[in-house]
Formats: sequence, C-alpha cells, structure tokens
Amino acid sequence: MINILIILFGKTFSFLSKRFNLGHGSTWPGHIALKLNPNFTNQILNKSKTEVILVTGTNGKTTTAKLLQTILETNGKKVILNDSGANLLNGIASTIILNSKLNGNLEADFAIFEVDENTLPQVTKTITPNYIIALDLFRDQLDRYGEIDTIARKWKDAYKSLKNTQFILNADDPQIAFLGNGLTTAHYFGLDSKGNNIEEHAADSLLCPKCANRLTFKTHYFSHLGDWSCAKCGLKRPNREINADLFLPLRGTYAIYDIQAAALLAKLTGLTTEQINQGLKNFRPAFGRQEIIKIEDKNIQLFLSKNPTSFNESLRTIAGNNAANLLIVLNDRIPDGTDVSWIWDIDFESLIKKNMNLYLAGDRVYDLALRIKYSDVNILEENIFENLSEAIGKGMLETKANETFYILPTYSAMLETRKIITGKKIL
Amino acid sequence: MKNNLTLTIGWLYPELMNIYGDRGNIIVLQKRCQWRNIKTEVLRLDVGFAKEILEKCDILLMGGAQDKQQEAVAKDIFAKAKELKTTIEKGIPGIYVCGAYQMLGNFYKEANGNKIEGLGIFDLYTESPGQSKPRLIGNMVEYCEKLNYTLVGFENHGGRTYLGKNIQPFARTTKGFGNNGVDKSEGAIYKNSIGTYLHGPLLPKNPLLADHLIKQALEIKYKTKIPLKKLDDTLENQARIAIAKRLSVAI
Repeated sequence: MINILIILFGKTFSFLSKRFNLGHGSTWPGHIALKLNPNFTNQILNKSKTEVILVTGTNGKTTTAKLLQTILETNGKKVILNDSGANLLNGIASTIILNSKLNGNLEADFAIFEVDENTLPQVTKTITPNYIIALDLFRDQLDRYGEIDTIARKWKDAYKSLKNTQFILNADDPQIAFLGNGLTTAHYFGLDSKGNNIEEHAADSLLCPKCANRLTFKTHYFSHLGDWSCAKCGLKRPNREINADLFLPLRGTYAIYDIQAAALLAKLTGLTTEQINQGLKNFRPAFGRQEIIKIEDKNIQLFLSKNPTSFNESLRTIAGNNAANLLIVLNDRIPDGTDVSWIWDIDFESLIKKNMNLYLAGDRVYDLALRIKYSDVNILEENIFENLSEAIGKGMLETKANETFYILPTYSAMLETRKIITGKKIL
Repeated sequence: MKNNLTLTIGWLYPELMNIYGDRGNIIVLQKRCQWRNIKTEVLRLDVGFAKEILEKCDILLMGGAQDKQQEAVAKDIFAKAKELKTTIEKGIPGIYVCGAYQMLGNFYKEANGNKIEGLGIFDLYTESPGQSKPRLIGNMVEYCEKLNYTLVGFENHGGRTYLGKNIQPFARTTKGFGNNGVDKSEGAIYKNSIGTYLHGPLLPKNPLLADHLIKQALEIKYKTKIPLKKLDDTLENQARIAIAKRLSVAI
C-alpha cells in the first residue's frame, strides 16, 4: 500500500517539478520514497519480471549502458535506464517510480543501472542484479574514490553474496578478471588484438591481485590491460568469449571493450550476432562520448576524457584521424576530481602531432599549459584561454569547411562545452 | 659555465610508487637541465635494483603509492636501508613525497595500534586516525623559510605525521592541512633531503625548488658553485598565481 502512495506521489512530484522547472526532478521522488520505505526498490523489483543489469567500472559505463539499451530496444525489449547522478540509490528509486504503474508493476524487460565504482557495494546490498558488467578499474579521482586496490577488495566482498548473478568481466584487466576467480557464473570479454609491448606511464595494476607478485605481460593493449600472468602463483588471464563478427559503431580501443561487453551480455539474454549487429548499427553515441555536433558546414566531436588512460586513448584516436584543430579543456570541479596531478601521466610527448593547432582552456588551463610546455610541444600564448567560449570560437574559426574540430574535455568541461555549442553562443 | 655538466637522477620505484603524477617531477628536472645544456640520465630503480647504483645518483626522487604497492616496495627498500641512509647523510638532495616521506620515518601506526617499522632516517612518525576521521585533501599553499619561497600544490593523505627533535619542518602551511592538520608544519627537511605531502606534482609549479635541487646536486658533484641560467618561468608563475588566487593568498 505504501508503495502505491509513493509511486503516486513521486509521479505527481516529478510532473510538477518538470512543469514548473523546479529542478531535482530526477532524484527527489526516490529520496522521499526511500525515506518512507527503505525497501521500496527491492520490493518493486522482486515483484516484477524486470531483469536488472548493473554496469560499473572507471571508463566506459555510460557508453556500454547505451550500447546495451540500443541492442535490446532494437530487438523489441522495453528498457529503462537511470540518470547517473550524485546520489545513485535515490536515482534508481526515481527511475523505478517513473516507470511503474500505480499498482506497483514495473513495466520493463530490462533495467540498466550505471553504478560508479564506489557505490557498487552499497547498491548490491539493496538490489540483487541478474547481471553485472565490470569494465575496468583505473586510477581516477583519488581525492574522491580512493585507491583502486581498496575498491577491488570491496567489490570482491560484494560479489561473494550474489549467487545467482551472471558476471560479465574484462579478462584483460587483472583486478577485474580476479573478481571472477572461484565464481561459476563469470563470463569474460576482452580485446582481440595483437597489442604492443610498450608500457605506458598510466599503468595502474602491475601486481598480481592474488599474491602481489609483479605480473608478466605477453602483450599490452593499453595501460595495464593485456595478456597477463603471474609467474609465482600461476594466476593468468582467463579464457575469453570474443565475438569477432561485431559491427563497430565507435572508434578507439576502449570503445571495443564496451562493445564486446554489451554484446556478450546481449548474447546471454539469447540474442544472435545478427540481432546484436542490428542494434549496434542503430547506436548513437552518448552525450559527449565521441558525440558529433554539426554546426553549419563544420563538425565538432567531443571526446570526454577523465583520467590518464582515457586521455591517452582519446588522443590516440584523434591523432589517428589526422586532426588539424584540437582543444583540451581541464576543469577541477568535484565531478572532474579536484587533484589534477594525473595530467603528468598523459603521454602528450608522443600523442600530440606537431602540425596540429592546439588550444587550451578550463579552470586549470595554466597547469595544462605547463604540462604541454614540458612535453616539448609548442603552445602559442594566444591559444591559452581563460574563457572557454573564446577558445571554442577560435578553434571553430580555424577549422575548415567539412572538417572536424576535436574537443577533449573533462566531465564538467564537457557539459560546459556542450552548453556553449548547442546554445550557439559561439556564433 | 662548463659545457659538459651531467647529472644522474635516481627515480626510486617508478613502477609502483607513482600515483600522484610523480613522473612530472622527473620531467621537470630533466627539462630544466636540458634547457641549460646540462645532460641528465634517469635511472629507474624498481624492485630488485642493485644497491650500489645509489652511489651514482646525484638526485633522488620517490613518490607515493597504494598500500599493496607500498608493502612490496618496503620489502625491497629495507634490504637497501643502509645504502640509502649513507646517501642521504652524505647530503645527496632528494624529494620524498607522501608514502615515501612516511616510509623514511621511524614508524607508521595503524588505526588498530599495529606499528609498521619505518626506515628511521627521518626522525618522525605517522599515525592513521582510522576510517572515521577524514583524509586531508585539497589545494594548498605553504611557505618555506629556508628557500624564502611560497610553494603551491595539492595534498591527499590519511596519515598524520609528527616530527621528532632531530628534524625540521620543511615549510609552514598558509592554506591547507600539512603534516597533521594541527601544528601548521608541513613536510620535513634533513640534510638536503625533503619529505613532503605536497604534490600536484611538486616541482612544475615550484620551479625555484627544482632549480635549488639542481644547484645543490651540481655543487656536490663538481665541488664548486655553478650559477644556473635563468629560464622564462612565465607559465609556471601563472599556474602558481592561479592557485594562490583561488585560496586568497598573495604570492
């Protein structure tokens, strides 16, 4: 009975807040719901036939969730998705309220919840998911999330109690692969690539997750992802289920991980490669993730980059596209991480092409400029901008017709950049 | 100035002790030498390095790490404690950040009272306040009297460090927490070795400190004072001022 009232109230609240533009419409109904009934989320989920999928990891959550949504929807499934926000449990409860009938029936075949690294153990205490996708664990925002070993340990504890959950794990990431150790419900994806033997400066997990011995890598794909093994305890990369026949709607190595992960889960739900590929062909990138925005006869492409690994991968993809104009925007607000020391682990030295016009902006533009100066890349004083609109304006001016202006922003910088571009403030 | 100056930089445990962009300190030393025609060689001293190599180093740097990595390093470094102590006592300049700084102390006391032995080169100890107390995190500004210089950077540490009688603080905090959030001391200096919680990384935004290390290293190696060519530090200063301004500090 209480749940019916909660749903009624939540829907009304959400309607009013949208109608009168009050803001907070996406998490407040959930906040109130959990205050009134802490078990609201699992009661509704237990009663429904909706299968729950949690997507977690440092890089690629949003893209993977969107890939999966598109694949499932293309094949006639009803899918609901949470708004990834600061308070996740409230956000999940809100998503459920908005998609429930008044009798408490949830109208969806699948619910995909994007869960950040730190809140995963909290979420699995409330919700028993049918599937968990764990993509990767990179050093990210040490000021907020803490160290990756701590996170991996918490995850492993959380996974132990989930007996009926299917795990879709990245075999190439030692910490993630080890989560499946001893589980009968683990499936592994990975990269089908020759890789290279260059160790990057951003490598995070070089020690065996089981015995802390230094791992041996037969090949590196990027950072600490690769074909790894431990000479001491014998732990090694598990066997992977790689689908070599997938349509690839995104470029770059890390996007392939997201695609393989989404496809492996889709296969577990009973879809064929052909059905999965139909979905992949319908895919449009999420907000700021290789998203292309057309302005008159020019394109702007946004590559959200949050840590050394995603930065290196974005720069590599952009360099591969022979970019002529690139703007990097570094902010240090809470969603970006307030510590910017990680920019010194980005391999600017080898990834910025000499003939590229480079522009810099963001709250920490001078830290960024300093990093670039010390990588021996020439940065013109007039291309260092305290004002983001001016930086975008200059880059657009220099970009020729039918060419792409590449922008590589941190999270809050991506939102700001998008606002400026779509608000057409630059024109 | 002589033309064939060379410096050997020993980077202790780059593979495992590197979480706060510590590589930036190495890059800054290399570049500021290169721009003055001083040749540098960087020796990456990872787990298992031969202890004799320490004798060849003119500058030492060591960064911070996560617990597991730190344990792996501790095992290795204890086997080289004597050689490291000799190097530091000899006055070889060095920077030891965060985890490395704590490791050079007498001990680290965990929240449950368990004591982890340190190298005992710096007369100080560190205490974990337990999970209930917050980590000390944020941008910071501090003043170093010895260098008559204001340093800017970022700190992020759980442990609270307390200095003993035989060591001086490196700086006084102007904005930020410092060693323990109470006594306004930050870091420690012993002979020419500096322990500090300041990263960001430390040297890019504090070029005077980078040059100070280079000068000391040259003087010890060539047994004479060698003046350094002045470099254009406009960008360095803009980056410093941006942080100071934000914390409402004049520098």
